[in-house]
Amino acid sequence: MKEQLDALSAAMFADLGTALSEKGLQELKVRYLGKKGELTAVMKCLGTLSPEERPLAGQAINAIKERFEEEFASRLAGVKEADKLHRLASERIDVTLPGRRNSVGTRHPVTLVMEEVSEIFAGLGFQVAEGPEIELDFYNFEALNFPKDHPARDMQDTFFLEGERLLRTHTSPVQVRTMLRHAPPVRIIAPGTVYRCDSDATHSPMFHQIEGLMVDKGITFGDLKGILTIFLNQYFGKGIGMRLRPSFFPFTEPSAEVDIACVICKGAGCRVCKNSGWLEILGAGMVDPEVFRHVGYNPDEVTGFAFGMGIERLAMLKYGINDMRFLFENDIRFLSQF
Amino acid sequence: MIISYNWLKEFVDCDLAPSELADMLTMLGLEVEGMRSVGAGFDSVVVALVEEKAQHPNADKLSLCKVNDGVQLQNVVCGAQNFSAGDRVALARLGTVLPGDFKIKKSKIRGEESCGMLCSEKELGLAEESGGIMILTTDLPLGTPLFDALGLKDTIFEIGLTPNRADCLSIIGVAREVAAKLGTTIRFPGHAPVESGPAIATLAGVTVEDSDLCPRYAARYLSGCTIAPSPAWLVSRLEAVGMRSINNVVDITNYVLMEFGHPLHAFDFDRLAGGKIIVRRAGEGELFKSLDGQERPLLSTDLTIRDSERAVALAGIMGGENSEIEPSTTNILLESACFDPSAIRRSSKRLGLHTESSHRFERGADIGIVTRALDRAASLMAELAGGVVAKGIIDVYPHKVHPRQLRVRLERVNALLGTGLTGAEVQDIFTRLQFQVREIEPGEFTVTVPTFRVDISREIDLIEEVARLHGFNAIPGTMPKARVFSDRPPLRQKVEKGLRDLLTAHGFSEVVNFSFFGVDQLDKLRLGSDDSRRQTIRLLNPLSDDLAVMRTTLLPGLLQNAEHNLSRRSLNLRLFELRRVYHPVAGQELAHEPLHLGGLLTGRRHPEGWNHEAAVTDFFDVKGVLENIFDEFRVRGVSYGTGTPEPFYHPGKCCTLLVGSEVIGSCGELHPDVLERFVIDQPVYYLELNVEKLVSHCGAAIAVVPPSRYPDTFRDLALLIDDELPAAVVVEAIRSQKIKELDGVELFDLYTGAGIPQGKKSIAVRIRYRSPDRTLTDDEVTPLHTKIIDNIVKKLGITVR
Repeated sequence: MKEQLDALSAAMFADLGTALSEKGLQELKVRYLGKKGELTAVMKCLGTLSPEERPLAGQAINAIKERFEEEFASRLAGVKEADKLHRLASERIDVTLPGRRNSVGTRHPVTLVMEEVSEIFAGLGFQVAEGPEIELDFYNFEALNFPKDHPARDMQDTFFLEGERLLRTHTSPVQVRTMLRHAPPVRIIAPGTVYRCDSDATHSPMFHQIEGLMVDKGITFGDLKGILTIFLNQYFGKGIGMRLRPSFFPFTEPSAEVDIACVICKGAGCRVCKNSGWLEILGAGMVDPEVFRHVGYNPDEVTGFAFGMGIERLAMLKYGINDMRFLFENDIRFLSQF
Repeated sequence: MIISYNWLKEFVDCDLAPSELADMLTMLGLEVEGMRSVGAGFDSVVVALVEEKAQHPNADKLSLCKVNDGVQLQNVVCGAQNFSAGDRVALARLGTVLPGDFKIKKSKIRGEESCGMLCSEKELGLAEESGGIMILTTDLPLGTPLFDALGLKDTIFEIGLTPNRADCLSIIGVAREVAAKLGTTIRFPGHAPVESGPAIATLAGVTVEDSDLCPRYAARYLSGCTIAPSPAWLVSRLEAVGMRSINNVVDITNYVLMEFGHPLHAFDFDRLAGGKIIVRRAGEGELFKSLDGQERPLLSTDLTIRDSERAVALAGIMGGENSEIEPSTTNILLESACFDPSAIRRSSKRLGLHTESSHRFERGADIGIVTRALDRAASLMAELAGGVVAKGIIDVYPHKVHPRQLRVRLERVNALLGTGLTGAEVQDIFTRLQFQVREIEPGEFTVTVPTFRVDISREIDLIEEVARLHGFNAIPGTMPKARVFSDRPPLRQKVEKGLRDLLTAHGFSEVVNFSFFGVDQLDKLRLGSDDSRRQTIRLLNPLSDDLAVMRTTLLPGLLQNAEHNLSRRSLNLRLFELRRVYHPVAGQELAHEPLHLGGLLTGRRHPEGWNHEAAVTDFFDVKGVLENIFDEFRVRGVSYGTGTPEPFYHPGKCCTLLVGSEVIGSCGELHPDVLERFVIDQPVYYLELNVEKLVSHCGAAIAVVPPSRYPDTFRDLALLIDDELPAAVVVEAIRSQKIKELDGVELFDLYTGAGIPQGKKSIAVRIRYRSPDRTLTDDEVTPLHTKIIDNIVKKLGITVR
């Protein structure tokens, strides 16, 4: 029996050593250790041995079985590892193929600018305010110190509607409406659609503005400069050059036009800035006492500043749009770039 | 306003380079919008002396000259005959480029070398015609650039004046600003004319009947004038500032207009009936023929200047043909007056007659300068037209206007500007501006504002002047010391932003269309004649019929966008617009301007690609977007009504969106007729929501149900139902059963076709059961499921397959 076992054991381990696949290994296990396996068969013969031989033979068989199980496990692990490595080495995809995606749309550039400007001012404590686009003369002109029959009204070509109404020519009536509703302090930003009776390559009959108003005790012209400096630096990038020029708006005094160093030529002079090195970007000033009188604020108690800017201009400068008409043509090849 | 630098220098000493002056003016609030040099590029045209002039050996009509250009003798061949040796002439040196891109090169003319050209006025752009070359006076130094020597070099500035600065509508006005900034003073031109005629009162009279519109009317009388062309200096001055020369008398009124900024008018006195002037409102409907030859009907609100019979001028706007200066005119009545700004503006606007004169009067003329301008013009007329000035002035000025006296507080100046200016600095600024200033107590001043500053009537106006002269850029930027307060943004703003986030995430790109459209757009949508969207707000002065009414729906704009893009081969579109529509409200001044959301889908569901199925968009894509919107903003109780379809949808593929019983929008496939009218030939799906209504239903409270720790179990159920029965009714009938272990119902299949009887459809639902406190057994679930089936079969009369 010993010879028989030795021969079997030699065959078993030789086979184990040459099996290369998981399947081959499993077959070997069945062949030797299965119910009808060869080692199982030897085990079944133990009963034919003498009581003295039986334990020795039993121990020998168990030893072979244990060693086989151990080597089987380690061989199996090796083969699996080799299989995995082979699979990893052979599987390849072209990762440059486009991903499977749902298309994502874009916000209109006018919205992008409005949201960005509002966000910067929200950080400075300004709330977004809104007002009607179909306005009354009082809010659009009268309360903003544009008297009837005054040449200042020529600055804004107005669309008129039936019944003393008009399409607002600027977002400034929101100032008036806000101050009539709230006692000071007031800190608002009012983005919105405005209309002027004008249409050519650089003027659209409908466009957008964003208006700011801050009224409190002791607000100064210096504060206006401080706030605008922060805004322009955040919007156009740190260190952007800025200058204020005296100007005229009926509802502010002193009034200023605010220029930034040309973002195209960095102040050297180009076509966009008409060789001046500066770009007019917004109008601003201290709220005129006449406006405070119209809304029932006491100009000896509070002061404030207001400013307004054209959204289209900001968008065109920021995104390098050279023709205003693209903004209202709604061509998807244009819109999808934002 | 156009300004000549040379002319400006008559009144103020200023040696700034033109670009420096432009910057200075701009920073004073007189924005220089354009600048042009006169005589630039002509530096190589110099004063030269003809030392020898000889006949050209090979040409009869040419001469051969030796010309001294201040440096050397040059040989020049010349074709003109009007000069001789010893004359000073204008030599264009080699390399000069004359107008018309004519470059002077060294050349041989009939075998003789010529190094330059002797120029005529015409060739230098100084005259329309000239007969020969320019002969210069002998005092001009040789070699000096000609334009410098003649003082013709100039810079022309175009200033964009804001409407408040009427005082700068003149050369002197701008000079005053320059002087104030530079800290110098200006020189005033001229002096009173020599009055050698009889007393004016014996010759002419002025009656101002409507003094409310004419606070001052002054006149002078000149006899024996000769109407003739103006001298060259006067012509070139006017041309420099963009005015055309007419004759000496008219040119002088224009010259003084530009110089002083005060409009004047010269009447042919002999054509004034009755020899007198009456200032009075026109008769209603009276016809008046102005200088431009047009006859216009006047209203009784228009102020006229009249003789004893008729209107001879439209006050402050334009003179009449019936009294204008003619070549034969000899006696002149010269008017210098002030008129009410609003009245001038109303008349000028209504008549569409905007003139240099009306432009100034409607902005406010200087009542204090009326007679000074009159004197200046009269002396020039005496000098240039040989007129004899009658003694005295007629000056109807019943209520003398005194310069305004305003109080200004130093503390207020610094508090408003955020500056630390001293009293002395502020006083200095006012003094530079020619404002008299007196300190009445420490830190408090009385400022006397000259009459030319019609824009300054309040303390704040003076503070602005301080800021302007001090320089806006010299004021330091600071951060406001503001009170803290909280004002949470309204839900509407959050929803608006959230909708944009959600729609872009669903592949929609945002469009912005004009808020106005043509009424024909509503016809294209098949709207009934009583549809409320036909109640539009109309523009009184639209740019065109296409932009004539405020829109009441976003659909036409989006359809135009679809057409635009489809015709450019962008075939797969998802577009949205989130903007207002406008409805009139009866009995209310303001309109109703609700925010609407419009969404349009067409083409493929997914972008084209190697790994996408090519399915096209259908109704359930648009509905899915809406369902996500309602989930995102927690709108409960939404239903999809099929009762009254919108006329622009396919009647079988659309629905209204209801929250409870309120309609908040609609969605569906667009009607083929509508698409055809917008020239679109592929199916398009659309949704429109009233966002204000959406917001009012948003934000249902969240009541959390703790997730069960125990597994669920589910049963599938196939039902055969009438085609007409909405699947949602079945699902709702199951969901609404009062069984606490019922955890959810999903419709997962819809089938019609083979094996299903005509007029029926098969739906499959999965019913999920779960208990929060134990694992349910089959024995527990089966009776629950049987109960559900029994109930719906009984309730809806449907069959289980």
